[in-house]
Amino acid sequence: MSQIVARVRAIPTWQVTLGLALLGLGFLIAAQLASEGPRIRYTSQERTPLVETALDLQAQQDGLKQQILQLRSDIEDLEATGEGGATVTQDLNRRLEQARIAAGLVAMTGPGLVIQLSDSSAPVPPDGNDRDYLVSGQDVLTVVEELWLAGAEGIAVNGERVTNATAIVDIGGSVLVNSAYVAAPYQVTAIGPDTLFDTLTTSPGFVDFIRARAETFGIGVGYAVQDVDLPAYAGSVNLRHGRVEPSPGAMSLPAASAVPGSGAP
Amino acid sequence: MRRMSGRLAVTAVMLVLGFLVVVQLRSQAANEGLSGVSVQELGELVANLTTRNDQLRDEIRTLESQREGVAGAVERGDSSSLQIRTDLNRVLGWSGALPVTGTGVRVAVDGSLPGTAVNELLNELRNAGAEAISIGAIRVVPGVVVTGPAGNLVVTGIPLADPIEILAMGQSEVLSGSLTRAGGPIAQLAARYPGVAITVTAEDRMTMPATNRDLNPQLGRPRL
Repeated sequence: MSQIVARVRAIPTWQVTLGLALLGLGFLIAAQLASEGPRIRYTSQERTPLVETALDLQAQQDGLKQQILQLRSDIEDLEATGEGGATVTQDLNRRLEQARIAAGLVAMTGPGLVIQLSDSSAPVPPDGNDRDYLVSGQDVLTVVEELWLAGAEGIAVNGERVTNATAIVDIGGSVLVNSAYVAAPYQVTAIGPDTLFDTLTTSPGFVDFIRARAETFGIGVGYAVQDVDLPAYAGSVNLRHGRVEPSPGAMSLPAASAVPGSGAP
Repeated sequence: MRRMSGRLAVTAVMLVLGFLVVVQLRSQAANEGLSGVSVQELGELVANLTTRNDQLRDEIRTLESQREGVAGAVERGDSSSLQIRTDLNRVLGWSGALPVTGTGVRVAVDGSLPGTAVNELLNELRNAGAEAISIGAIRVVPGVVVTGPAGNLVVTGIPLADPIEILAMGQSEVLSGSLTRAGGPIAQLAARYPGVAITVTAEDRMTMPATNRDLNPQLGRPRL
C-alpha cells in the first residue's frame, strides 16, 4: 500500500495536470460530436438555413427594438428641451408622457410578483406526449390572463412587455411573445397590489391550471413576491389600417396629475 | 528540458481545451430551444419575425421623422405642440384611450363558446397583427379578459350576450387567413365545439370605442 502511495507521489505534477486536461479534452470532443449529430441531420432536412435565418431575424429584432427605445428617449429629451416654451406645450408634454406610461412604452418598477414556469422534469411515460411536459404558450397566456384578473396593472414575460398588441403563441417547444422567441423557464413578472398573490392563487381559473398542468404533468410553478421591474414595450404603435377618432364623447386625455412618478410638477 | 516540454504540452492542451469549451457553449446557445422546432414551425417563425421586423422598421421611420420634426421646432424656437399632439394622438389611439376607425375583419360567433376559447381567438388576432380589437362594445386593452362558461360570458364585469361579435383592425386578408387556415384556431374550435359556427368577414370601415378602463398605473413608477 505504502509502495503505491509512494509511486503516485513520484508522478510529476505536470503529468497529473496533463492527464486531467486530456480527460477534459476527450469529454468535450465527445460532447461536440454529439451536438454535431442533430445539425448534420438538420442539413439533410434543409433545416439549417431556416434556423440560421430565424436566429438572424431575432438578432435583427433585438437591434431594432434597441433603436426604437433610443429614438423614443431622444424625442423625449428634445421635447423636454422645448419645454421652456408655452404652457400649452408643457401640458401636452406631460400628457404625452402619461399616455406613454399608460400604453406600456415606459419601463416601470413597483410591488408585485414573479411567477416562474418551467418544463417538467418528470419522465414522459411511453404512451405520453412530450409536449404535455413542456410549458406551452397557452400555459403562459393562462397565467398572464389570471394575473390581469387578479388585479395586475402591468405584466412582462421574459423581458417582453405585455400590451394590447401582445400575442403569446407556441413555436415548437418554446414560445413567441411579441413575436420574440423566448425559451423556458418563463418568468411572468407583474406589478400589482399586495393582494395579487392571494387573489391569484385562490382564483378558480388558476387553481384549475395548477391541477391540470403542475399536478398532472409536473410543470414547475414558482413564486416570488417582490418589487419588480417591467421593460418598456419596444414594438410598433403605428395604426397602419386605421386612424384615431378624437371624439369628445370618448375617454378624456389623462389628467396631468393622475400618473404617479411621472415627474410632472 | 523534460520539465519544459511537459509545460508546453500542458499549455497546448489547455489552449485546445479552452477553444473547445467556447465552441461547445456557443453551439449550445445558438441551438437552444430551436432543436425542438419542426420545419413547418420554423417557416412560421421566420414569417412571424419578418413581419414583426417590418413593423419595427416602420415604427423607426415614424420616430425618425418625429425626431426631425421636434428637433426642427426646437431649433426654430417654436413650441413643438403640433408634433406632440400628433404623437399623443397616435399613442392614445393605439393604447385604446381614444376610439379608432379603420379596415379589418368582423368575427361572428354563432353558438356559445367558453371564455377561454374567446381569449384564444383574441390572442390569434393579435398574433396576426391586429392593431385594435373590440368585443361587443368593449375595447380590448391590457387587463381585459373574457371569463365564464359558454352562454355566460363576462368581460370586465359586463355580461357578454350571444351571439358574440369581435372587431379587429388590421390587414383583413392576413387576419382572416390566420383564423381560417387549415388546422387554425377556427378549425380547432369547430372540432372542440361542434355546435358553434364562426364566420370572418372583411370590413372596409368600422369604428371601435375607447376603453372605459383607467390605463394609468396606480402602483408602478417609471423606472429611471
